[in-house]
Amino acid sequence: MTGPTSGAAIAGLGMTELGKVYGRSPRRLAAEAVRRAVADAGLALGDLDGLLVSHGMSGSPGIELAGTLGLRDLRLLTQMNAFGATAGAMVAYAAMSVISGAASTVACVFADAPLRPKQPAGSAYHRDAREWYGYGGMTAALGFRSVNAFYALAARRHMARYGTTSEQLGAIAVATRQWAARNPLAQMREPITLADHQNSRWVAEPLHLLDCCLVSNGAIAVVVTGADRTRDLAQPPVHLWGWGQGHPGHGRERGSEFGLTTGAAVSGPIAMKMAGVGVGDIDMCQLYDCYTYTVLVSLEDYGFCAKGEGGPFVESGALGPGGALPTNTGGGQLSAYYMWGMTPLSEAVIQARGHGGDRQAPRNDVILVSGNGGVLDHHSTLIVSPHAKGA
Amino acid sequence: MDLGVLRRDGRTDPFFDGAAAGRLVVRRCDACDRWLAPDAGDCPGCGGSDPAWAEASGEATLVTWTVLHGRPAGDGTVPPPVCLALVELAEGPWLHTRLVGADLAALREGLPLRAVFEHPAEGESYVLFQPAAP
Repeated sequence: MTGPTSGAAIAGLGMTELGKVYGRSPRRLAAEAVRRAVADAGLALGDLDGLLVSHGMSGSPGIELAGTLGLRDLRLLTQMNAFGATAGAMVAYAAMSVISGAASTVACVFADAPLRPKQPAGSAYHRDAREWYGYGGMTAALGFRSVNAFYALAARRHMARYGTTSEQLGAIAVATRQWAARNPLAQMREPITLADHQNSRWVAEPLHLLDCCLVSNGAIAVVVTGADRTRDLAQPPVHLWGWGQGHPGHGRERGSEFGLTTGAAVSGPIAMKMAGVGVGDIDMCQLYDCYTYTVLVSLEDYGFCAKGEGGPFVESGALGPGGALPTNTGGGQLSAYYMWGMTPLSEAVIQARGHGGDRQAPRNDVILVSGNGGVLDHHSTLIVSPHAKGA
Repeated sequence: MDLGVLRRDGRTDPFFDGAAAGRLVVRRCDACDRWLAPDAGDCPGCGGSDPAWAEASGEATLVTWTVLHGRPAGDGTVPPPVCLALVELAEGPWLHTRLVGADLAALREGLPLRAVFEHPAEGESYVLFQPAAP
């Protein structure tokens, strides 16, 4: 079954129960997701000859996951980490491995279990201490104890530079919740209004609570294999047309573009050129939405609107049901589930298959998927389609 | 927000020596004539390790800011918000810090700031920034 092939596709998707899922380690969650993805594809675990593992805040499933699953004679096995850009990076590595013939069928999995019973959702992402050490400790002591403050600095900088408003960020939250209301997998399905967004408590100004993503336990896996192999499998293939990464390395000094531009400005053109498409060919976006602002700045950097015009663009209604650019059609990380880069990727697979049910977008020929890690430091892009590349 | 107690870590001690004396001490690569943050490792210009320590002017401008709100407690009380900021030293490096004495409605990119020093009864001295006197 090995040997070079002309293209790669996602053949299987496996998702555990997501959200307040307690009592299972990341490795056990990851094992279940891989088993589900393999079964979804109509394959057996023994058909896998590659496994890529990634993790969130609560420890890695580790490459020991292969042993847990009883996988033998693997040709590809590694742990990957580019923070929130990892899912896209794993799928790209899997695709390149399949196309080169280094492996034939590769599972890519993410698992995390940061939520604990009776603990606030944000506590896994928050440091607290009685004593702090060194200069970095001083910065944390002064208040930089969670990622919220850093994203708030980014959003405020965009507002100060371009006039972006909290209401415009709210338009993203409202549109995303409209999609979530149609997704039985979403954790937050109650409709919200712009007033609800504005009235939700401040987390770190200019970010309200409804600008911030959920925290979820669970795992998601996909199976990547040769496009020519998917004909015999159980699900419609999701073809991988293009991929790219961007890591701008913004400095902490005069002239830095921190908060204003992201790696999407690099990864987007690379992925689209590889796919043979332009920004006008994209039918829908599945964007990493750890915060509403991440969506806005990513849309600008991909070129869906000019730099600085993300606010009016999202306010136009483009992103929601019936809009010109359906975005985060499952409810994203803001309203559905937070599985880092696997959130946008899983919804892209569902949409490309046409399995979106009440939330199926009208056109799914070309879907853009993003990943974002750090504080807008790391970015990945995938272009996927139900159609074979060049067909 | 309760600050807690600051301790030295052996890697940034000259910064705390400076703060105790009311001086803002950061790092500087003499080869590149480039100022760096106190927690900088190698110089991004030349890759030189262990850049020198040098006293900065304490003058800065505001890059961006956030008002951080604490999580409401079980009894509904909310800790007082604090204003956090990214500031650009006159010498070029950016520092993550806390702003004090600022009219939040008047904050803007480029607002002139200056370093101020706090000397708690327990633990190391530290630096904050406040709007420069008009």
